[in-house]
Amino acid sequence: MLQLQRKNSCNSSCKINIIGITMSRNVLNVPEVYLVPYRTNMEKEFHHHPSRMPDNSAMKQQKLPAHQLHFSARVVLTIFFATGVFCFCMGVILILSAQSIQEIEINYTYICENCAKLRENAFNFDQKCTCSVPFYLQENMEGDVYMYYKLYGFYQNHYRYVLSRSNNQLVGKDIMDVEDCAPFKVSQNKTPIAPCGAIANSMFNDTIILSYTLKSSVHIQVPMLKTELTWWTDKYVKFQNPSLINLSDRFVGTEKPPYWQAPIYELDTSDPGNNGFLNDDFIVWMRTAAFPTFKKLYRRLYRVQYFMDGLPAGNYSFNISYNFPVTRIKGEKSVVLSTLTWSGGSSLFLGLAYTVTGAFLWLASFALMAIHMTMKKKKLSYRR
Amino acid sequence: MGANDVSMIKAAHIGVGISGQEGMQAMLNSDFAFSQFCYLQRLLLVHGRWSYNRMCKFLSYFFYKNFVFTLVHFWYAFFNGFSAQAVYDTWFITCYNLIYTSLPVLGLSLFEQDVNETWSLHFPELYIPGQHNLYFNKKEFVKCLIHGIYSSFVLFFVPMGTIYNSERSDGKDISDIQTFCLIVQTSLIWMVTVQIALKTTYWTMISHFFIWGSLGFYFCILFFLYSDGLCLMFPSIFQFLGVARNTMNQSQIWLSLILSVILCVIPAFGYQFLQPLVWPVNVDKVFDRINHCKTRPPQVRVRTKLKHPSLRRSAYAFSHKQGFGALITSGKTTKTKPNKKNSFPVKK
Repeated sequence: MLQLQRKNSCNSSCKINIIGITMSRNVLNVPEVYLVPYRTNMEKEFHHHPSRMPDNSAMKQQKLPAHQLHFSARVVLTIFFATGVFCFCMGVILILSAQSIQEIEINYTYICENCAKLRENAFNFDQKCTCSVPFYLQENMEGDVYMYYKLYGFYQNHYRYVLSRSNNQLVGKDIMDVEDCAPFKVSQNKTPIAPCGAIANSMFNDTIILSYTLKSSVHIQVPMLKTELTWWTDKYVKFQNPSLINLSDRFVGTEKPPYWQAPIYELDTSDPGNNGFLNDDFIVWMRTAAFPTFKKLYRRLYRVQYFMDGLPAGNYSFNISYNFPVTRIKGEKSVVLSTLTWSGGSSLFLGLAYTVTGAFLWLASFALMAIHMTMKKKKLSYRR
Repeated sequence: MGANDVSMIKAAHIGVGISGQEGMQAMLNSDFAFSQFCYLQRLLLVHGRWSYNRMCKFLSYFFYKNFVFTLVHFWYAFFNGFSAQAVYDTWFITCYNLIYTSLPVLGLSLFEQDVNETWSLHFPELYIPGQHNLYFNKKEFVKCLIHGIYSSFVLFFVPMGTIYNSERSDGKDISDIQTFCLIVQTSLIWMVTVQIALKTTYWTMISHFFIWGSLGFYFCILFFLYSDGLCLMFPSIFQFLGVARNTMNQSQIWLSLILSVILCVIPAFGYQFLQPLVWPVNVDKVFDRINHCKTRPPQVRVRTKLKHPSLRRSAYAFSHKQGFGALITSGKTTKTKPNKKNSFPVKK
C-alpha cells in the first residue's frame, strides 16, 4: 500500500519517522513501505493537525469497482453485422411505405401568365386575377387527401425574418407589444400593426379551389375542410385572440399589416374559432419553414358524397385567385395533392439512406472479418 | 534534496522533490514531493501515464464535440441565404457546454484508466506513448477535425433529408425550423453521448450516472423549456412552445436520429478496431499481450517451501531517536504474507 503525499507542508518540527522498509520477496520489485507517523508527547501538544495522508477509500485510491470495457473482434463484427441487417430491413420498409403514397404537383407560377405579369408590378395589388389550371388524375387517390401549397425560393429561415414577430401579441397578452417586429412595427401614422412583423406581413394569400368534372359540363367543387390544419398546441395555447367576442373592437388602435388586403379580424368572419389570430391559414404560415423550398397544409379533403373514399380518377381543375407575387423574388409556387402514411410524406430519402447504410455496413463487416482473419494468421505464423 | 537542486526542479517539466534530511527547500519548489525514491516508479508509470491518457482523451473529445456543434451552421448557411440563422434553440446553445456535456467529460478525465495499476507497473513499455507524444499531436488534432466535419455533415443532412418534403402522419407541418432545430439538437446530444461512451474504457458507477444521467437530464430540461407554463409566462424568451410534444411522437424523427448516430459512430468504431490490426504501434502489442493474459488467467505456480535457516528478513531502520531498532526487529510492524493469487509469473 503506497500513498503519495503532495506538497508536504509540515514544518520541520513535524517528524515523520520511517520505521521500516522491508524488502520482501515480491516479484514486482516494489518494496512495501510503512510510514508510521510518530510524534513525541511534546510535539503532540503543539501540532494537532491531522495526518495529510489521503484516505484509504476506493475513490481516492482510484480503486472504484468498475467494468473495463474492451471490444473483442467477435463483439465488433457482431455489432457491424447486426446494425447492417437492421438498417437494410428498415430501409426496405421505409421505401415500400413511401412508394405507396400518391402525390401530384402542379406548378402554376407561369401557367397563369397574365396574372404573373400583373403581380410583377406592386401597384396592381388591388386588381384581382384568377386563373384556371386543369389536370387529369390517372388513379384514384384513396384515403385522406391533403392539399398543400408549395413555395420555391422563399427564405422563411432568414435570420432577421425569423426574429420579426411578437409572441406577446399573438398570445393575446398585449396587442400593443411590437418590440421585436422590426421593420414592420408601426404603420406610417405610427399606430402599432397587429399582427406585427415580417412573417405575418408576407402571409400567403392565394385562394385555391379544387373542382371536379363529374360529367362533360358538370363541374362540382370538391368539399374541403379549412380547420385542423395546425398543431393543437399552436391553435389552443400559443395563439389566442384578445377576446372571444367583438373582435374588431379589441383591435381598435392597431392597423393591419401593409401587404394585407383585410385586417386580421376579417380573415374568416363566418367562424369565430377561425378568426383573428386563431385563423388556421395564419397559424400555418407563422410556423416558419426550415428550408427555402417548403409546403404548407392548405386544405383537407372532406370525405362526403362522391369523395367518400378519396379523390376518384378523372378531370379536375384548380381555380386560383393569384395574389402572391413569387416571380419578383425569382421563386415559384405550386399546389400539391397527396395521401399520407405512417412514415410521413413521399420522400424516399430516409428509406434510401437506411438501405445504403445497411448494405455498406454488411459489406464492411465482411471486409473487417477478412482483415481480422488475415492478421490473426500472420500473428500466429510469427509466433511459430 | 538540497537547496542547490531547486533550480533543477524548477527547470524540469515535472519537478519531484524527495523530502528528507536536507531541509524543505527542494520540496516546497517541487510539483510533487514524497519521501522515497522508489515512489517515483508509481508516480511515472501509474499516475503520470493515466494523467497523460486522460488529458489526451479529454482534449480530443472536447475539440470533437465543439467542432460538431459549430460546423453544422456552415452547412446550414447554404440554405438560409447566408444569414447566420442558428440551427439550435438559443437555450440549447447556452446549456450545451455548461450542462449537457460537462459531466460526462469530467467523469472521463477523473476516472479513466486504460489498464489498471498492476499492469502499468508490470509493463513499463506502456509509458512510451507519453514520451513520444503519441496520443495527442497535430495528426490527432487533424483526425479529430475531420471526424468533426464528417459528423456535422451527417448531423445536418440526415435531418434535412428527413423533413425536406415530409409531413407528420396526420398531414400537419413537420418541416418548420423549430422541429428541425429540435431534431438536430437531439441527434447531436445522442451522438456525443455515444461517442464518449465508446471512448470510456473504465466504467464506474459514477461514469454511468454522469453519462446516462446527462442524457436524461437533457430530455427533462427540453420538456421543461418547451412546456406551456414557461412559454406562456415569457412568450418572447421561450418561443418553442409544444415543439417537443408534437415532434417526438413521429417515428420518422426517431428513425432519422438513429441513422445519424449510426452513421457518425460506426466509422470511428471501425477505425478504433482496425487501427491496431493494420497499423499497429509498439504499444498495441503490449495491449495485445495484456488482453491475452487477462483471457487466459496465469497458472498459479506452486512454490515449495525452501528452507534457508540463515536468511533472515532484512530490515533497515532510519530513525531520529534511539531505541527503535528493537521495535523493528521484533516484527510487529511488518505486513502479513501476500496472497498467492496476486503474484504474477515472471514473463519477459
